[in-house]
Amino acid sequence: MPDIGVALSTIVSGVLLGGMLALTALGLSIVLGVMRLVNLAHGDFVVVGAYVGLFFLKFTGVDPLLGLPVIALIVAALAIPLYRFLLAPLAERGPEAQMMTMFAVAIILENAFVLGFSADTRSIERDYATLPLTLGPVTVPLIYVIGFAIAVALILAVHWLISRTRFGRDLRASAADAQAAATLGIDVKRVQMLTFGLGAACAGVGGTLIGAAFQFGPSSGAAYLLNSLAIVVLGGLGNVLGTLFGGVTLGFLQSVGGLTLGDGYRDLVGMALFLLVLAFRPDGFLARRRS
Amino acid sequence: MKTSSGLAEVGVLLAAFVLLWFAPSFAGDYGLQIAFRVLIYLTLAESWNLLAGSTGLVSLGTSCFVGLGAYVAFGLMNAFDVPLPLGLACCAVAGGALAALVSPALFRLRGLYFTVGTLALAELLRLIMVNVSAFGGASGIFLQKDPPPLPVLFHYALVVALIASLAITACARSRISVILRAVRDDEDAAAQMGVRPYRTKLGAFILSSALVAIAGGVQATKLGAIEPYGMFGLQWSIDVLSMVIIGGVGLRLGPLVGALFVVALGEALADYPEAHVAIAGVILIVLIRFAPRGVVGFVENLAPFTQKKRVAA
Amino acid sequence: MNASGAPLLEASGLVKRYGGLVAINEVDLELHPGTITGVIGPNGAGKSTLIGLIGGAIPATQGSIRLNGRDISRLAASERARAGIGRTYQIPRPFLDMTVEENLEVAQYSIAPFINATLAREERDALLARTGLSDAARLPARALPLLRRKRLEVARALALKPRIVLLDEVGAGLVDSEITELITLIRSVADPNTAIVIVEHVLRVVRECCSRSIVLNFGTKLIEGPTAEVFANDEVAAVYLGTGGDRELGAASGTSTEAEAEASVHLESPAAERRVMSPLIATRSESSGGAPLLELKGICASYGQARVLKGIDLTIREGEAIAILGANGAGKTTLARTISGAIAPTSGVLRIAGEDVAGQPPHRIAELGIAHCMEGRRIFPTLSVKENLLIAARNASASACQERLDSVYDLFPVLAERKDHSGTSMSGGQQQMLAIGRALMARPRLVIFDEISLGLAPVVMDKLYEALMVLKQAGMTLIVIEQDVDRALALADHAYVLEHGVFGLSGKPREIAADPRLRHIYIGTAD
Repeated sequence: MPDIGVALSTIVSGVLLGGMLALTALGLSIVLGVMRLVNLAHGDFVVVGAYVGLFFLKFTGVDPLLGLPVIALIVAALAIPLYRFLLAPLAERGPEAQMMTMFAVAIILENAFVLGFSADTRSIERDYATLPLTLGPVTVPLIYVIGFAIAVALILAVHWLISRTRFGRDLRASAADAQAAATLGIDVKRVQMLTFGLGAACAGVGGTLIGAAFQFGPSSGAAYLLNSLAIVVLGGLGNVLGTLFGGVTLGFLQSVGGLTLGDGYRDLVGMALFLLVLAFRPDGFLARRRS
Repeated sequence: MKTSSGLAEVGVLLAAFVLLWFAPSFAGDYGLQIAFRVLIYLTLAESWNLLAGSTGLVSLGTSCFVGLGAYVAFGLMNAFDVPLPLGLACCAVAGGALAALVSPALFRLRGLYFTVGTLALAELLRLIMVNVSAFGGASGIFLQKDPPPLPVLFHYALVVALIASLAITACARSRISVILRAVRDDEDAAAQMGVRPYRTKLGAFILSSALVAIAGGVQATKLGAIEPYGMFGLQWSIDVLSMVIIGGVGLRLGPLVGALFVVALGEALADYPEAHVAIAGVILIVLIRFAPRGVVGFVENLAPFTQKKRVAA
Repeated sequence: MNASGAPLLEASGLVKRYGGLVAINEVDLELHPGTITGVIGPNGAGKSTLIGLIGGAIPATQGSIRLNGRDISRLAASERARAGIGRTYQIPRPFLDMTVEENLEVAQYSIAPFINATLAREERDALLARTGLSDAARLPARALPLLRRKRLEVARALALKPRIVLLDEVGAGLVDSEITELITLIRSVADPNTAIVIVEHVLRVVRECCSRSIVLNFGTKLIEGPTAEVFANDEVAAVYLGTGGDRELGAASGTSTEAEAEASVHLESPAAERRVMSPLIATRSESSGGAPLLELKGICASYGQARVLKGIDLTIREGEAIAILGANGAGKTTLARTISGAIAPTSGVLRIAGEDVAGQPPHRIAELGIAHCMEGRRIFPTLSVKENLLIAARNASASACQERLDSVYDLFPVLAERKDHSGTSMSGGQQQMLAIGRALMARPRLVIFDEISLGLAPVVMDKLYEALMVLKQAGMTLIVIEQDVDRALALADHAYVLEHGVFGLSGKPREIAADPRLRHIYIGTAD
């Protein structure tokens, strides 16, 4: 058993990472809610976000955390044509065709990353990223705390957007009953397109944060996708704040799993949790408290 | 009519089997290698089609059962010196048992989560193999005894492919086919006819998984050494999906056409692995959009006089 | 009628609740072998729910069902089918890509997987001959027209060799001669060992087939008895035609119409109505150059594979209120959905203020000022009452939204009280008010009200129609689609009766109400 300080630090780090993953999971969740689409390329959108952050820093010299709004827009702008030209024409054909298309997009992206950026593992390197932050027995890198804070702020912002704005109202109505929403005057395709863009932006921003705090490679997407799915299922579909809860829970359990069983078991905990929740609480742990 | 066409199909399959049995005597080593891969792929695609065609469930978990078969076969052969045929039979049992075990989680929400559930399951198994040293850890395990020579393995692959094809024929041409199609088309209406949808889907999932696990065992024996990243890799699922979409989902000849196409594409682009997969992705997108019934469906549409044979699908 | 001996099926205290809505409330039922029982009642009375509860498609909230003394309450639909309960669906659900014969095989092979092939074929052939489908055995079910699909539904249910046969609205959407064929079929199905239940809107089927009948209203059993007695009962006629229950059909005189209009006006004058309601009613446009607000010419539309509308001509000018009546399955809702763009017409002209809009998406048609208060209310459960209202106020400024909200709250004060609660937390009647208010929030030029009285108590309906009358007084253009003849006619300037996808009857409400053909279309008493 490692000493208590290391253990606590690991757990806090896990929770902070979970918060960042929750942001990417949120993107997956709103697309699933509105379009009934499990976006199998979502993990690769996260990787796109990390690469965009990396090159943003390289070419502009501006800190990617300051450039997050621009990065979000870039990733959304890359995703919207995918909706417009690949997904929208398949709208009448049921969710499988769209899901398979996004699967194909995922494998194209993954291999395009290797071809374009090599198979190297990278990280968005900033001086402050390695600075330690100590609070009592707990020591975590500063960037984890910054990343977590930004992720939570953005999750709250998306929560506000969905629960308080006109667009959010349209989004929730389209998710609940697309046909009725259209009859009441909502341009459902437009809502879906913007939702898809918003989902990608969440993935992109999450990717930049994760890229700054950790390492990423061209094939990291699958792991992000699966972790995001685990979080969505934990938090409950369509529950924005539940997603944050799911992320933090997953991060916590992963660190505990890593501490007690060995580091290699971190991801295993996530997958096992995902399947267990599907089997026993398919509506998520917070099914009662819908936002 | 139904029975006679089913018997004719069995006849064609057996004739092809007998003909191919003698392939090792005239095909060269390269040809045999390719033929072996086509047969393994054919088995995987037939199994996938069996599941999707009879239940409408889209699986991304092929790699999960390929890997399971590989590890079960190696484990039994190394630890207990089990003969290969018995080892492969155990692969089938293990594949079916795992399918039965995870079905309560995967069949939730009528398939929305099935696809991602199978994906997660493959990842879960891979992580277990990586982390548990008894399973060889990240570096994997070697087959301690010498694997049989290629011609023998080819015969194994041929038998497995025949079993998978016969299973599809049985499901498509017998009484089972109406039950399977009923469940796929309208579960509620089928239940009102006395069909038990859950059991039917579970049966198809178990059969399909068992077949994939056997194929995994044969493939692993040929490799002689396995490691978790390769055997549980997403590549299997990508290849299977490519095959069935290129060939035509649920079409009788789809898996064969798809397997030939994917193996040929792999050979042509063997030196450019990334480009190969990316091109496969583009082909998938184009086919899903413009030829949802794949190459076989496309040809059928061009030639309306060819009799349309839809599988259990 | 074989009421003696043990019942084949015995249901007691059946209850089905959907959230706060009670679809079936404490219904008892006994079925004896060799009987045919009719279940009738207005739309939304819970008839199809009852079939679902017995067949197992819908789990009961409370109550028990026994088949031959065995408790089957907890069994899944498939097990009940195996135990001998066969049902048909109101809208046929054959396996479309299978042949007719294969559709029967599903039932045969599921209950007896190893049945001898020759025997199975003989049974199928006999069933197909009995249901008049012999010539279609090898055709895909997709190729069958509606009547033959209904026959296939019956054949499939019979292939289970059931003890209980549940027939759900087999007559809906069929023409008279087809119904005659169907009645012959049902009679041929009856045998001394089987009990048949017919849930039916086409009362002729019930009258001619059933020895006993049950009338459901608001989920409870109103009357049960020999069919002739049930049909002679005044209360039953009232339930069917005028939910108020105080007037006979066809006696809706001009004076009573005016009296009702008088009663519902709760403001001083039409001018006052117009002032209060003005935020909700679009100003009349002069720009359309005298073109009618809505114009349909030869509109045809299909729902799934079924051709539902077969050439509809309709012209509505600003300020008019029209009623569209017709029995279940006549195509009323399809017509509403075609106008609002949810269904694209297969042919014909659809103009809004002169602009051809056929094939336009629904949100474009909403933009042009057509609001559609949808059948089944379609309240968004994840939105609050206020949000449900605001959703329809597209592109309106915050102050305009507030004005419209105030007007809706003025019309339905209960919505103001519940404005922050979930839209579906309210009772059925309140949800209907919300649906009406939501349609008005668009400040439409025309509103289609589709079956707003469905499943509601008469006093709630009174309130809703009072509100509609207020809107009419204020100058709103209205299309009211109703099964409740009296209420719709009391409101409308002009009425159309839809029968099998065309207008079979049209005219002034007074003429329509007095026309014996109306009663014939609805109840078919004119034998």
